[in-house]
Amino acid sequence: MSDVTTVSDATTEFFESLRDRGHEPLLGRANGTFRFELANGEKPERWLVAVDKGDITVSRAARKADCTIYADRALFNRIAAGEVNVWTAVLRGALAVEGDPELLVMFQRILPEPRER
Amino acid sequence: MENVKILDGNTFVVSDGSGDIEASSSDPTGLFVFDTRFLSRWILTINGQRLHALSTDDLSYFQTRFFLVPGTGTVYIDSKLSVIRERTLAEGFHEELTIFNHDDHSVELTVRIEAASDFADLFEVKDALQKKGVYTNSVEHEQLLLKYARGTFNRATSISSTSAAEIDDRGLTFLVRLAPATSWSTGLNVSPSTTLSVLRKRGLPPHSHRVEAMEHDLAVWLEHAPRLSCDWEPLTVSYQRSLVDLAALRFSPITAGRKSLPAAGLPWFMTMFGRDSIFTSLQALPFAPDLAATTLSQLALRQGTRCDDFRDEDPGRILHELRYGELTAFEERPHSPYYGCVDATPLFVVLLDEYERWTGNHKLVHDLETEARAAIAWIDGYADLQGNGYIAYKRRNTETGLENQCWKDSWDSISYHDGTLPAFPRATCELQGYAYDAKVRAARLARLIWKDEDYADELEHQAGELKRRFNRDFWIDDRGYFALALDADGRQVDALASNNGHLLWSGIVDKSKAKSVMQHLMGRRLFSGWGIRTLADGEGRYNPIGYHVGTVWPFDNSFIAWGLRRYGFKDEAARVAACILEAASYFDGRLPEAFGGYERSLTRYPVQYPTACSPQAWSTGAPLLLLRTMLGLEPVGDHLVVDPALSVEIGHLELLDIPGRWGRIDAFGRGRVEMAGVR
Repeated sequence: MSDVTTVSDATTEFFESLRDRGHEPLLGRANGTFRFELANGEKPERWLVAVDKGDITVSRAARKADCTIYADRALFNRIAAGEVNVWTAVLRGALAVEGDPELLVMFQRILPEPRER
Repeated sequence: MENVKILDGNTFVVSDGSGDIEASSSDPTGLFVFDTRFLSRWILTINGQRLHALSTDDLSYFQTRFFLVPGTGTVYIDSKLSVIRERTLAEGFHEELTIFNHDDHSVELTVRIEAASDFADLFEVKDALQKKGVYTNSVEHEQLLLKYARGTFNRATSISSTSAAEIDDRGLTFLVRLAPATSWSTGLNVSPSTTLSVLRKRGLPPHSHRVEAMEHDLAVWLEHAPRLSCDWEPLTVSYQRSLVDLAALRFSPITAGRKSLPAAGLPWFMTMFGRDSIFTSLQALPFAPDLAATTLSQLALRQGTRCDDFRDEDPGRILHELRYGELTAFEERPHSPYYGCVDATPLFVVLLDEYERWTGNHKLVHDLETEARAAIAWIDGYADLQGNGYIAYKRRNTETGLENQCWKDSWDSISYHDGTLPAFPRATCELQGYAYDAKVRAARLARLIWKDEDYADELEHQAGELKRRFNRDFWIDDRGYFALALDADGRQVDALASNNGHLLWSGIVDKSKAKSVMQHLMGRRLFSGWGIRTLADGEGRYNPIGYHVGTVWPFDNSFIAWGLRRYGFKDEAARVAACILEAASYFDGRLPEAFGGYERSLTRYPVQYPTACSPQAWSTGAPLLLLRTMLGLEPVGDHLVVDPALSVEIGHLELLDIPGRWGRIDAFGRGRVEMAGVR
């Protein structure tokens, strides 16, 4: 794992592709907002994802969310790249979740397929 | 001394008869929460002496009282003291310890509780594996803290008392002076903490209120179930036992709020299983329909969406098993969740339809339309490993995945008549039945609720086609039964097995073949007098105490009985039901997972299969489904049809207030089916 962070990495690509997707049928029953607090040196990087019956909007707004996920940015890069499973990361305590766990389980559906192990 | 178990959802304690816990690395005693052992040592001594149990009293499934005296059992060294240990589950557990001095002079006592935890993952206990993390014990804020850490993975147990104690890193000591005819007591709290706690926003009430809440909850649960009145004790006893055990086996995944579904069994399987949770929900539908709703929505939430070889996951596939322990967290086991089972996916659709037929709840069927369609698509796509239109299985996780992904999941369960084992992929027969039933039922839902006539037509056409091919490809003409499976080359795996009964339940059997199938099920090779064996006597691998190769499984028999009724064999279904319920009375109404396949005339009583899993959810559900079957309960439109066929032992049977889309309805029956020739 590298401690050098680049601007365009798996995390950024993931959220940008999510923004471009607009509608995601796998989240058709999901209603709620996610906040991602990604620790990266001094200041956490923040992403807000709102889902309304599968319609997705992505922003950097600082708002309260139904489900907040706290992780190191380096770890989230690996999650966004399909190298780390988000649920086992929760079980390991590598990732903390506040709020509605059902939303997190749903969110897992749109993470990339796992890479060769 | 026999192990004493108390449980609540995914929290349970297994101890010896005196309440002590002295676990070895391979022994399932201790306090377990979320698949992790939080206490592996818990030993009470008075003046250095262990205690001996006079009796234990199971107050409820979450509370036990132990009556103890000092001494090891052969000689009572001091019977002037007696001890009551009352243990109640509440997140961890609370223990109320009371010591009585019956002597006419004062006594000085050193009361000691030794405590330790190995923080073993349940899988480690099962397979006796070594730990990789670091342990620390400490005393902080008048609590003994037992901790385990492996990287960011942290688990801890804190132990405290309500009376003053000297605490060291191996336990708690109380110095007690007791005047004549007085008593002393203390409360002991054992609280686990896990990373997962942040996910649980349950806001638990204080201990005393929690017990009240649990008692109230059990009372409400029993009140909501239909009332049984019957003059045949085997049925009344096992009905009551089943309702209480089912209450105890309720499990709330962290995503389900306060709703619950049936976990698979104690001690190894206190978690959500696709297959077990579905089968148990089906059995319990006429009695506790909410279990089915939670099972469906929780399984739907975790339906597969991707191809993941480690987890044997595909899009549309319903999970096999979900775990929270250390080995799962570090991906040394694939249960996050693991998807290696092939029957849960069609059975998910079967349960969804059966649930609607009973409850009339269209909303859930609407909500789960996407998932139900994905399940059907999985049957036609990913599950068709050989491209021949049959569900088959072959694991992709060859290290820790399951070889046999049907309900008979032990290594030798699927064999040819001569005892040899077929190669993979294997297409076992009951899977095709479930697929058929899933399509017929999905067609009904498509027409009624999803309003998609084209899809309904297509499903019905596919189901008819599947039935036609199945009756050609699996039928062994010269023997008159269906092959257990098709092997990797599409050849018949020709052993005679109980799977034929599940085929009747699914409705895939041609009417012209049903009688022959029934005769095999009720014939001497399969029917032992207690029930139908998993594998017929005379098959190469038959063994009356082989896990899936000769034992009798109550759950299996309950679905077979339902199948017999489906094809009109009412009397045979009544006989199977009566025999299984008679067997239950040898186990105080609590049916074990399986019992020996010995001939009834040989052993006179059912020989329990030597495994520790009890209560087991689908055995707990078996008396419920047998009761439904005997009464011939069948929802038709907004009505419940009652068409009883009961064995002659049963003078009268009343089941009152059966819940469903009709409100509440009563059913009555009188015994008339002769048991001659069965025993």
